[in-house]
Amino acid sequence: MTTKLETKALSAWFGRKQVLKGISIAFEEREVTALVGPSGCGKSTFIRCLNRMHELNPGGRVDGKVLLDGADIYGMDPMEVRRKIGMVFQKPNPFPNMSISDNVVAGIKLSGEKKKADLEGIAERALKSVGLYEEVKDDLRRSGASLSGGQQQRLCIARALAMEPEVILMDEPTSALDPASTSKIEELIRKLKSEITVIIITHNVSQAARISDKTAFLYLGELIEYGNTKEFFESPKSPITERYITGRFG
Amino acid sequence: MVVVFFFIMIFGMLLIRSFPAMARDPLMIFGSTWDVEAGIFGAAPAIIGTLVSSSIAILFAVPISLAIAVFFTEYAPSQIRTGLSVVIDMLATIPSVIFGIWGLWIVAPLMKTFVQEPISGSLGFIPIFSGPAYGLSLLLASVILTFMIVPIITSISISLLSSTPVELREAMISLGATRWEVVRHVALPFSKLGIFAAVMLALGRALGETMAVTMVIGNSFMWPFSSISIFSPASTLTSKIASELYEAIDPFHVSSLIELGFLLLMITLSVNSLARLIVSRYSQRRYGT
Repeated sequence: MTTKLETKALSAWFGRKQVLKGISIAFEEREVTALVGPSGCGKSTFIRCLNRMHELNPGGRVDGKVLLDGADIYGMDPMEVRRKIGMVFQKPNPFPNMSISDNVVAGIKLSGEKKKADLEGIAERALKSVGLYEEVKDDLRRSGASLSGGQQQRLCIARALAMEPEVILMDEPTSALDPASTSKIEELIRKLKSEITVIIITHNVSQAARISDKTAFLYLGELIEYGNTKEFFESPKSPITERYITGRFG
Repeated sequence: MVVVFFFIMIFGMLLIRSFPAMARDPLMIFGSTWDVEAGIFGAAPAIIGTLVSSSIAILFAVPISLAIAVFFTEYAPSQIRTGLSVVIDMLATIPSVIFGIWGLWIVAPLMKTFVQEPISGSLGFIPIFSGPAYGLSLLLASVILTFMIVPIITSISISLLSSTPVELREAMISLGATRWEVVRHVALPFSKLGIFAAVMLALGRALGETMAVTMVIGNSFMWPFSSISIFSPASTLTSKIASELYEAIDPFHVSSLIELGFLLLMITLSVNSLARLIVSRYSQRRYGT
């Protein structure tokens, strides 16, 4: 196992308020890592530091290091970082003014790919990889916003995958979806890890248990516990973790 | 209800008062000669002047307004933002007669020296740029109109652009987009229908603007039949009515001027209806799939 992405003493602020307090964690290549913790513990801020989105907030500030294959992403061009580290959001957010296939290739078009045939091929492959192609192939020209919530979210995953990222960050990708769509996306995440490193925030501890190899528990901006998912749930080391996973708070 | 009644009253008044001119010769108003002595009232120059001066103003104002709005919402630091919004609001409250004075005394000589003379000197062989440069001209009216409608388009565009959903912005940013790419692919497409409506609103304002235009356009009733140069003095429906109505004695003269008012109302109404039609068609297509 090799480390794909690693943070060293990562702290983050909103104005004067410190929301992350020196988090050091290493994510293994081609594994699914789940981030759990109560609302407001800094999970979202944490993954937004991993693709340099946190600094876009007014008053957003970051300290410490984030290493992608050993190189600090805070020394790189942020646009380049975001092409390598993709993101899927809590609420499905397809571009309403674009068709299904244009949504998928929106990022590719930015990086200069213009040939129509190539773009069609990329869109088809990405849609197939999220299992959406069969459902939408008859009308790829209709608006991405016309799909159901679950389909929209898979479209957004396809859009991120089309960039061929090395890491994909997911911020509670199923929290707005029904159970059937959720299980489709969970299945997809398990499949994805053969090619890609996945870091997923979830509010749902049983989801973390189902899909992840490792689980990290954040509480009040600190990393409380991090380890193999099986051990994490069977024999938590910290009493706070135990209370959280047994549902006594959060 | 009251508004509808009021509108019908105005409409009826214009129609009744312009009836004598229409009845005498329905097509005369579209002729090119306006000769009060001879009793010939052809308003083609004013109709064309209205359409052309407003179109040029829109042509100038749209890129300027969008550039300001994009700068304001996406790039400007917050201190500049506050200052800029005060300036935009102030510009919108300046009475049009003040714009007229400013155009007459300050912009006209500047335009004559720095725009009209150099362009007609070098590109004068193109008929629309030919000299001589008078200062007071169709172009000057368009420039003054531009100043008057830029605040309208800008302030509406700013509120539209800044209401772009943050999820969509972030989606584009997470794909590696630059600020400009977020504007181009997310914020502008999201706002374009509203911006179109703002432009139509501004066009309505430009078509109907009277005072400032009357003061700077030169009120020549020859254009565009003498020379089609945009540096020539011209006239519009509004400037024609404003400069002649109070001294018109001949009933056909009065009636013809009122017919101009009727035509102006028809033009602004059709611009408005067309805009509504386009907006409703387009928004159905966008959400109705």
